[in-house]
Amino acid sequence: MNHFIDPFLDNGFLQRALFAGVLVSLTCAVVGTYVVLRGMAFIGDALAHGVLPGVAGALLMGLPAMLGAAVGAAVMVGGIGLITAKSKLSNDTAIGLLFIGLLALGVVMVSSSTELTGDLEAILFGQFLGVNHAELLMQGLALLIVVIVAVFASRPFSLLCFDSDLTQAMGYQAHWYHRLMLFLIAATVVVSFQTVGALLVFGMLLAPAGVGALLARRIVTMMLWAVAVGVMSTYLGLLASYHFSWAAGASVVLTAVTIFFVVLVGVSVKKSLLGSHS
Amino acid sequence: MVPKKAGECVVFSNDNNYHFVMRQNHARLLAIFSVGALALFTACGGSSDSTGSTDSADSTVAGRPSIVVTYSILGAVVSEVVGDAADVKILMPNGIDPHEWEPSAKDIEALTNADLIVSNGLDLEGNVMEAIEEAESNGVAVFHATDHVEVIEFGASGHDHAEEETHAEDEIVTAESVVGTEPKAEDEHSDEHSDGDPHFWTSPVEMAAVVLSLGEALSDLGIDVGDRAAMAAERLTNLDQEVSKIVETIPADQRILITGHESLGYFAHQYEFEVVGAVIPSLSSEAEASAGELAELKAVIEAEGVTVIFTELGTSPDVVAALADDAGVDVVELSTHFLPEDGTYASFVLDLASTISGALAS
Repeated sequence: MNHFIDPFLDNGFLQRALFAGVLVSLTCAVVGTYVVLRGMAFIGDALAHGVLPGVAGALLMGLPAMLGAAVGAAVMVGGIGLITAKSKLSNDTAIGLLFIGLLALGVVMVSSSTELTGDLEAILFGQFLGVNHAELLMQGLALLIVVIVAVFASRPFSLLCFDSDLTQAMGYQAHWYHRLMLFLIAATVVVSFQTVGALLVFGMLLAPAGVGALLARRIVTMMLWAVAVGVMSTYLGLLASYHFSWAAGASVVLTAVTIFFVVLVGVSVKKSLLGSHS
Repeated sequence: MVPKKAGECVVFSNDNNYHFVMRQNHARLLAIFSVGALALFTACGGSSDSTGSTDSADSTVAGRPSIVVTYSILGAVVSEVVGDAADVKILMPNGIDPHEWEPSAKDIEALTNADLIVSNGLDLEGNVMEAIEEAESNGVAVFHATDHVEVIEFGASGHDHAEEETHAEDEIVTAESVVGTEPKAEDEHSDEHSDGDPHFWTSPVEMAAVVLSLGEALSDLGIDVGDRAAMAAERLTNLDQEVSKIVETIPADQRILITGHESLGYFAHQYEFEVVGAVIPSLSSEAEASAGELAELKAVIEAEGVTVIFTELGTSPDVVAALADDAGVDVVELSTHFLPEDGTYASFVLDLASTISGALAS
C-alpha cells in the first residue's frame, strides 16, 4: 500500500502535480469529448503547437507566458477563418498551414535567442513537477469557465456534434457555437500548457475522451468516463514517474493512450464475441 | 438530443454519421502523429549536411589561418593563446546552451573552411559533431579539448550511491590521492560516446593541461604562438590558487553541491567538493526531470543537510522552485556554461567559485 500512497504524502511537488493533473483531466474530459465527437483533433493539435511563438514572444518581452499563448491561439483561429473566407481551400489546409507556420516561427525564435535557452522543451512538455499554487488556481479557474460554458451551451453543443444544419434549424447560430467551442479548446490548451505542456495536453484531450466515446452513448456518460480515465492516468503516470524515474508529463499521457488501446481491444473482442453468438 | 439505445457503440441515432467522424479522426491522428514527430525532430536537433568547398588552407580574408572554436568559454582561452597568430571564430553565441545548439549553414561553411577546429568533445556539442566529422574527413585538423584532460566518468563522484557513502569525504580524499599519482583516464577517454563528463572547463587545472596541448597542436600546424601557451598555462595555475583561496573559507562538511545537471564534476574534484545530486541527473541539460529522481534528491537534501540548490542554464526554474520550496532550501543561480560580461575565462572561474563560496558560507 505504501508504494501507492506514500510518494504523494511525502512530496509536496507530487501532490501539486496530482492536483493539477486532476484539474487538467476534468477540463479535458469536457472539452475533449466535443473534440472527439466533432473530429476537431487537428485544430486542437494545431492550437497546441501554434501557441509556441506567442509564448516565446511573451517571454522575450517579459510578459506572462499565458498572454502570449492566448495571442498565439487567437492568431491561429483568426487565420484559419481568414484563409477559408478568402480562398476555396479546405479547413484542413488552413489549419495545417498555420500550424506548421507558427511552429516553425516558434522554433526559429527560440533557437536564435540566447534568452530562451531550454524553454522549447519546457513549453512543449510542460513542467508537471514544478506546478505552483498560482498555476493551480489558474487551472481551477479555467475548469470553472469550461464547465459553466458547457452547461449553458450543452444543447447546441450536442446538436453540433450531430448535425450543424439541424442546430441552425433548431434556432441556434451554429457558427457562433462552433467558435465558442474553439474558444474552449484554445482556453484549455493555453492554461494547461504550463502544467502538462502544449504537446501533451493534446493527449489528455484525446485519449480519455476517446475511451469515453468507445464505452458510452450519452455525452454526459462519455465525459464521466473521460474524467475517470484522465484522473486514473494522472495518478498511475505520476506513480510510474516516481518508481521508474520516467519523465512525468509523458508518463501520464502514455498511460492515458495505453488505457485507450486496452479499452479498444476489449470493446472489439467483446463485440466479435457477441457477434459470433448471435 | 436523445441517444438511441442500439446494439453497438452508437452515439446518436445516425450511426453512419458517427462512424464517418471516427474514421476521419483516425486519418487525422496519423497525420498529427507524423507532424508531431517531425516537430520533435526539428526541436531536438536535426542533422546537418555540408556541401561547401573543401580544401581551404589559405581562404581567410587577411591571409591568416582560421581557427573555429565551438563555444565561448573555450573560445576565450583559445583566443588568449592564439593572439594575432590566427583568426579565431566562435560558433555558439555566448549564453546559448551548447547541449542544444544547432549550427546554421554559415557555421558549417566556417567549419569546412577552417584550418583548425577546436571542440570540447565528449558529446557536449551533440548537434555539431556531424559537421565537425565531415570537416575532419575533408582534411581539417580537429583538436578535441577533452582528449587532453583526465576525464571524469559520470557518477564517479559517487552521488548515485549516496546512502552507502556515509564517509564520502574520506573516500574522496583517498580517490584524489590515487588519481593524483597515476593517470587513470589514459584508457578511458578513447571512446567518444562514453559517459565521460564534458564540463572540464570548471577546473582551471584541466584547462591549463588543455592549453599546453593546444600549444603543441598549433605549432604542429605551423601556427607560431611563441610562448603564449606556456604563459596562459601559468596564468591558469595562478587562477587555480586564487580559487583555492576563495573556497578555503568553506568548512569541509559544507562542501556539498546540488546542481541543475551534472556540470560541476571537475570543479568538485579539484576543490574537494562532493556533488550529492542534480535536479536533472544527466550530463546534458536536455533530459527531463522525473518524480522518482526529484523525490530521491529531496531525500538526499534532507539527509545531507544541504542548504542550497545551484541552478543553471537549461534547468527548469519552476521544478527547482517547487523542490526548494518543499525541502526548505535556497536557490542560487550559477553560470556554468557562459562567459561573464568582461568575456574572460578568469572571471568566469572566479565568479563560479565566489558564488558557490558565498552561498555555502552564508
